[in-house]
Amino acid sequence: MMECSISNRIRTLRFHDAEMSQAELGQRIGVTRQTIAAIEAGKYSPSLEAAFRIAQVFNLPLEEVFQWDAKATH
Amino acid sequence: MPYREKTAWLSLIAMTVTFGPYFTFVAMHSIEALPNLRLLGLFGVAAVAQMLILGAGHLYLRRGSAEDARTPPDERDRAIMGRSISSAYYVLIAGMILVGCVMPFDSTGWAIINAALVMIVAAELVHYGVVVVSYRRQA
Repeated sequence: MMECSISNRIRTLRFHDAEMSQAELGQRIGVTRQTIAAIEAGKYSPSLEAAFRIAQVFNLPLEEVFQWDAKATH
Repeated sequence: MPYREKTAWLSLIAMTVTFGPYFTFVAMHSIEALPNLRLLGLFGVAAVAQMLILGAGHLYLRRGSAEDARTPPDERDRAIMGRSISSAYYVLIAGMILVGCVMPFDSTGWAIINAALVMIVAAELVHYGVVVVSYRRQA
């Protein structure tokens, strides 16, 4: 059985991008501030489209924003 | 707190304070005969009170967070909405099977009507309850 988790660097990237607010990032990709907060906290996994949009905002490839950790559990 | 969570709380509160007393009254009195204008009137009062609470509550919430109210639901809102509706669907379908296929064998009149109302209210409580829990877990 595989146990998977998706982590991200959105908070750090926002900080380095002129301290962009969650609301501004949300506005740019078409979601609410609360959804960005939930994604950052790892409590909500965004759709593939939203993930690509977030990566596009920071001009980075998807894998530099989101990381997928797979742990094998038996 | 997201606007949609606030409206879900409002709906939960409105249903609890209006249909709670109605169903408590129904449970405490054995009412079978049809028609029963007193009970019908009581149900009408509960329904109108619920609408008034919802109307006033929505106006208040819109005034407090007008921008959030205008924002269309995003993908997370839609996912939560879908989950809550599917959960409520199972409650409603189970209730309707009970009310429409089982109760007619041993119940009549208001017992069946009120059981149907209980199941509709229960489905709505599950609907809004799942919305609130989902937003809380992801907050």
